[in-house]
Amino acid sequence: MSVPGETILTVEDLKTYFYTEGGVVQAVDGISFDVRAGEIVGVVGESGAGKSVATTSILRLLDDAGEIVSGEITYRDTTIVGFEEAEEGGELVPRDDMLTKSEMRKEIRGNEIAIIFQDPMESLNPVYKVGSQIREFIELNRDLEGEDAKEEAIEMLREVGIPEPENRYDDYPHQFSGGMRQRVLIAMALGCRPSLIIADEPTTALDVTVEGQILDLVDDLRDEYGTSFIWVTHDMGVVAEICDRVNVMYLGQIVEQGPVDDIFHDTQHPYTESLLASIPRPDKTVEDLNPIAGVMPQAMNPPRGCRFHTRCPDAREACRDIEPRFVDVGEAPSHRAACLKHDDVGYWDSVPIENESRDGVVADEEPPAGGQETEAGR
Amino acid sequence: MATTEGQLDETAEGTGEARVGWRHTIDQVKRDTTARWGMYVIVIVTFVALFSALDANLNRLTLGHISNYAIGQALPLLEHPERIPPPGEIYRNEPPAFAEGGSWEHPMGTDHEGRDYLTRIVYGTRISIAVGFVATFIGLVGGVAIGAVAGYYGGWVDDALMRFVETIYAIPALVLVIVFTVFVSGGRPDVIYAVVGVGLASIPVFSRIIRSRVLSVREMDYIEAARAAGVKDRNIIMRHVIPNSFAPVLVYATLQVGVAVLIVAGLSFLGYGAQPPTPDWGQMLNYSHGLMHSSPWHSIWPGVAIMITVAGFNFFGDGLQDALDPRIEN
Amino acid sequence: MTLLRYTAWRLAQAVPVLIGILFITFLLVNAVPGDPVRLMVEGQEVDQATIDMLEARYGLDKPFHERFANYVLGVMQGDLGHSFHRGMPVTELIMIRAPPTLMLVLSAFVFALATSIPLGVIAAKRRNEPADHVSRLLAIFGVSTPSFWIGIMLIIVFAVWLGLLPSGRLVYPWRDPGFYGLNNRLELWYHSIRHLILPMIALGTLQMATLMRIERSSMVETLQKDYVRLARAYGVPERTILRKHAFRSAQLPVITIVGLNLSTALGGAVLIETVFEINGMGRLIVQAIAQHDYQVVLGVTVVLAFIFLIGVIITDISYAYVDPRVSYGDED
Ligand SMILES: Nc1ncnc2c1ncn2[C@@H]1O[C@H](COP(=O)(O)OP(=O)(O)OP(=O)(O)O)[C@@H](O)[C@H]1O
Ligand code: SF4
Ligand SMILES: [Mg+2]
Repeated sequence: MSVPGETILTVEDLKTYFYTEGGVVQAVDGISFDVRAGEIVGVVGESGAGKSVATTSILRLLDDAGEIVSGEITYRDTTIVGFEEAEEGGELVPRDDMLTKSEMRKEIRGNEIAIIFQDPMESLNPVYKVGSQIREFIELNRDLEGEDAKEEAIEMLREVGIPEPENRYDDYPHQFSGGMRQRVLIAMALGCRPSLIIADEPTTALDVTVEGQILDLVDDLRDEYGTSFIWVTHDMGVVAEICDRVNVMYLGQIVEQGPVDDIFHDTQHPYTESLLASIPRPDKTVEDLNPIAGVMPQAMNPPRGCRFHTRCPDAREACRDIEPRFVDVGEAPSHRAACLKHDDVGYWDSVPIENESRDGVVADEEPPAGGQETEAGR
Repeated sequence: MATTEGQLDETAEGTGEARVGWRHTIDQVKRDTTARWGMYVIVIVTFVALFSALDANLNRLTLGHISNYAIGQALPLLEHPERIPPPGEIYRNEPPAFAEGGSWEHPMGTDHEGRDYLTRIVYGTRISIAVGFVATFIGLVGGVAIGAVAGYYGGWVDDALMRFVETIYAIPALVLVIVFTVFVSGGRPDVIYAVVGVGLASIPVFSRIIRSRVLSVREMDYIEAARAAGVKDRNIIMRHVIPNSFAPVLVYATLQVGVAVLIVAGLSFLGYGAQPPTPDWGQMLNYSHGLMHSSPWHSIWPGVAIMITVAGFNFFGDGLQDALDPRIEN
Repeated sequence: MTLLRYTAWRLAQAVPVLIGILFITFLLVNAVPGDPVRLMVEGQEVDQATIDMLEARYGLDKPFHERFANYVLGVMQGDLGHSFHRGMPVTELIMIRAPPTLMLVLSAFVFALATSIPLGVIAAKRRNEPADHVSRLLAIFGVSTPSFWIGIMLIIVFAVWLGLLPSGRLVYPWRDPGFYGLNNRLELWYHSIRHLILPMIALGTLQMATLMRIERSSMVETLQKDYVRLARAYGVPERTILRKHAFRSAQLPVITIVGLNLSTALGGAVLIETVFEINGMGRLIVQAIAQHDYQVVLGVTVVLAFIFLIGVIITDISYAYVDPRVSYGDED
């Protein structure tokens, strides 16, 4: 295992586009974040924000229409994605040190980075026994064969809290409940001993009680194995429960990123505020919940200026035209946000605009006393 | 993806929305090369069929040498004795123009009666197209009526229909149609019985498709609303249920035209479909089958004609299906 | 055992359908306007006494419902009536004529599956590439071409023109080699395969075309499933994904269609047996119709439908074998 705190994965200015009949979908448009050993990093945002595309880009598992057009993904010392300018024409071409397809398959997928998908019902092959599916992946990604691999698979099933794992090994997926299947998928991931597990909304399909159990399980396993997680969700409540650091995504971009406490208690971006206002909490009734007004625009042609301006409660004229930079904000050193409020470009002088978030009532807010923010160096 | 817009939206509110879906479908079909080619073939073949049915002059232009026997069969010629060639000039089973012994007078050669093969192939379109459309129409109307009623009312009506469908389906269609044609005609089969037979035999599948569609449409809110508002059952079925269930039926109908042409060709080949002197591709193959050794050319043309005609409908149906099926995304 | 129980249960379920089939065929055959006996003896010199005798023998003097009841009772005991023209029990006749038809139809499906599965998988793997377009063209032409014409063309090319293969009749591997003047089993098999090739291809092409499209779309759908993406995410090589992870569950729709298409294939056998002069049930029914031997027509129709029903049961069992979610134990 790795030294705690060491950075194992870096994503820099990643852009992933889909080339469809209708046009180019800028599903992920320049995101940067990193993951350290033994840490759970959240990726949060509404449906369609580009969370799944971002995570599948890390494993280079996009389907035919999708393409990583630029950016850099580094896992420890290996380059998963890397580009350089071609000698003629200046076009971006893959760099020599970038892993080949088969290196990706043999060296990264499963044994270094494993993934758990959103829907536990669809993620297991219905015509093969659960045990044999885990065992196959273990054999593929570790130096275990035959009976040893089977024992390890049973051990993993026990580890994730499946009762009588020896008997359940020979059952088919349809004989498991949703929560149990999600545990099987976690066992599958852990069985391959990866350093990083990407969990793409793994609890969305489960009910709240089961979700709680799974989150506890993951927290324990992280401590036990020192595995890092990228936890994708649209639920701020889940983020609060298990994440160390958070990336808030909106329409293909990260709009705010930082330690979980700062994101919750020193929120710097209106979109994050909206997400927080929509968490169901015991002390709030359903009527108090404040879902984000309007719908997220199409990633095909995102709004000009700040992408959130069509729905942002604090949007002003300036937000229509100027694209906010991603700058250091707040107290914590690694806390950043992309909002014109933190940029000295005339936000405070321009007039509020009408958009989907309000019906005429406009809040008049003063600039913060703190003065000039520093731009994030990159 | 673009294709998902092309499908008929299941939750569409009534026929207004359904029509929007149709427009997308048509666009989709226009963009699909195979579907377009299928459409060309259908249009051309149908045109040829209508043209050959209307224009008696085609006879004079291409019939050429005629045997004495054939005169009795080709009635129009009786009125024009000047067109009958002298007996010495009759060439039976003449090979096509490009083969040894052929001439451009009869590009595809002549048949066992000395009739021009090309003319008969062209005439064959008429019967095939008629067979395809009429049989499918019978199946469509019958199937839609039964399927809509069964799906809408459910219960024992539905049960009875499903049993009936299973039963009909268990008998191979070709056998069912032969038995129908031979026995209902009282031992004097003709293409009209075959067409009705194929039509009736296809009712079950049509009704099954429309039934399953109706079952899902029935549960929709606006149908419930219409019923609550006291709209008559018959009106609900005609105005909402059927228009909303039509997409898969249309695809199936297109493909069924081809199936009908194939079944009737098979029947004619066995001698239970179109009867001489009506020019029919299956029947021509029946004759040429005996000539496989001496003049194999004669077996080629009718088969190619059937293949192209049926392929036209299948290409079109296939393209239509792609346009309507949201699962197959490209 | 559950499998036995399941089969028995499915057979029992097929009984009403079988009675329905009997009824429909019986109705059709008896719809002959005029007198079936006169039709039977058409063109032969017979006196009134013979006609009366024949009517009594076939029970034609009795009312319809009584005749039908008698027929159903007979069928239940395995008695399909008597062939007027051939002077033997229909059941016996069918026992002789069924094996060639079954051999032909089964081999056609073997041919169709052996070709359509690899072609369908390749088309799915190379979706929207030239290979896929070619396979689509092939499939559409395959379902558009009359099987009997394919048969005629095959005979013309391979038998008449090239002289490579025999043009008709079958050689039955279950017969004694001496019957065909052959020395041993091996030669017998060699000849039966040679004789089978052309009719098998003629009958199997339609099935191949249909199954290829099903295989392709089923594979395409399965390749997009989460469990296939997951296998990829765990570094399973693409070849293994095609052969194992996607393949097995993708065969489910194919199995269903094979069962349903058996009906089309049995119908096609009527034409193919005629073209290749194979003495199976298909040729028998054609001959019987020409001879107005209506008990035989009735018998063959019912047996063909019965074979179809058995075929569907067999495919349902194989479905349950491939898909663990379906078990014959807890069927409703
Ligand atoms: N295969 C694809 N082809 C075209 N566009 C795609 C494809 N996959 C994703 N997209 C688009 O990329 C954008 C981001 O999708 P993504 O699946 O990453 O969202 P998400 O944040 O994971 O949402 P959810 O919470 O619903 O899973 C969406 O606009 C989506 O339409
Ligand atoms: S830049 Fe403007 S629109 Fe964008 S988040 Fe900040 S205030 Fe809202
Ligand atoms: Mg997602």
